[in-house]
Amino acid sequence: MSRVLIIEDDEWLAGQHTRSLTREHYDVRVVSNALDAVVAVDEFQPDALLMDVLLPGSTAFALLSELKSYSDTAELPVVLCTNIAEDVSLENVQAYGVKRILDKTTMHPSDVPAAIRSVL
Amino acid sequence: MARPLRAMLEHMRGQSEQQFELGGNNSFFVPPVVAAAHELKSPRVLVRQLALALEDVTLSAVEREELLTQIRLTSERALRLTADLTRAARLEDALFELEPINPRQLCDDIVSELMPLFRAHGRTIRVSGRRRAPLPVGNRDLLRRIVMNFSDNALKYSDVSGAIELNVQAREKGNTIRVGVRDYGPALPADVWRSLEEKLMHAPQTIHARPESSGLGLYIAAAFAMAMNGTIGAIRHRDGATFYVDLQASRQLSLL
Repeated sequence: MSRVLIIEDDEWLAGQHTRSLTREHYDVRVVSNALDAVVAVDEFQPDALLMDVLLPGSTAFALLSELKSYSDTAELPVVLCTNIAEDVSLENVQAYGVKRILDKTTMHPSDVPAAIRSVL
Repeated sequence: MARPLRAMLEHMRGQSEQQFELGGNNSFFVPPVVAAAHELKSPRVLVRQLALALEDVTLSAVEREELLTQIRLTSERALRLTADLTRAARLEDALFELEPINPRQLCDDIVSELMPLFRAHGRTIRVSGRRRAPLPVGNRDLLRRIVMNFSDNALKYSDVSGAIELNVQAREKGNTIRVGVRDYGPALPADVWRSLEEKLMHAPQTIHARPESSGLGLYIAAAFAMAMNGTIGAIRHRDGATFYVDLQASRQLSLL
């Protein structure tokens, strides 16, 4: 069973992502900020990250820069799920390990497991 | 594995309190459309996702009821912001009745109003401090909107384990009354904190007071405070923040 770490500060939205992924038999853990995400990456050892861009205390890119600097997490595939997808181009963020960008304003809940499946 | 980011964030949590204030003689403002649109986007996105989730025919009755509650509460938050924006845009033309306000009663009313929202998020909100609080001079509606705004903000940033506290205290030998909202959550990065005051003095930013916020809510609160000759400010704690509004104390007792 593949493990997915959700980094999303809106707990109700995180709940929806969790529901979508567990239905597809993913093992899911949710954290709401970068600090907890760093701890969870160590403990949970996810196969993929599903993350918001704008997080309390930090942004996704500060966290991803951190993860890129370690050999055991540098290749972790990342799916961004954000309100500001129109301001983020995949080309500019691929260096952070981002493989897919989901636009929260247009996506369907079923897009989440589909995106995760595509990056694993 | 000890990672630098973790060390940095933990260091920030350990830093001593810092504080800034906004208000005083600044002119009123009209909220920029871009910032308003950005701020209103999040609740609408959430409502849409929750509504889409309702399409799932395998949901139990309990899950369906929970989703409907979340949709209603999220819509109410968005409506509050919309109402605040409208009010703020009309501040310059408006006449406000300034009168002594019972801040404790106001806080009790806000707690009653927000309790369902906080409960749905697994949080608690309460009023702390003296039962008979000193009275500030202000406009009840504007003060209510400020404290509601701070409380919404606190809900967003607090940890599940920490209750959000509304409190009232007299300061400066009783000349000023402070109504504060204390949250317990991740500390703001020091550089973000340093730039917060400057950002809010000019205009709401699309990048952020606290990262996912445009700062629009605080900017509106500052405008409401200024309309009452007051100021808003924030104190950065090692485990969260207090956002507060300072108003002049009522002198009605001294006239007796």
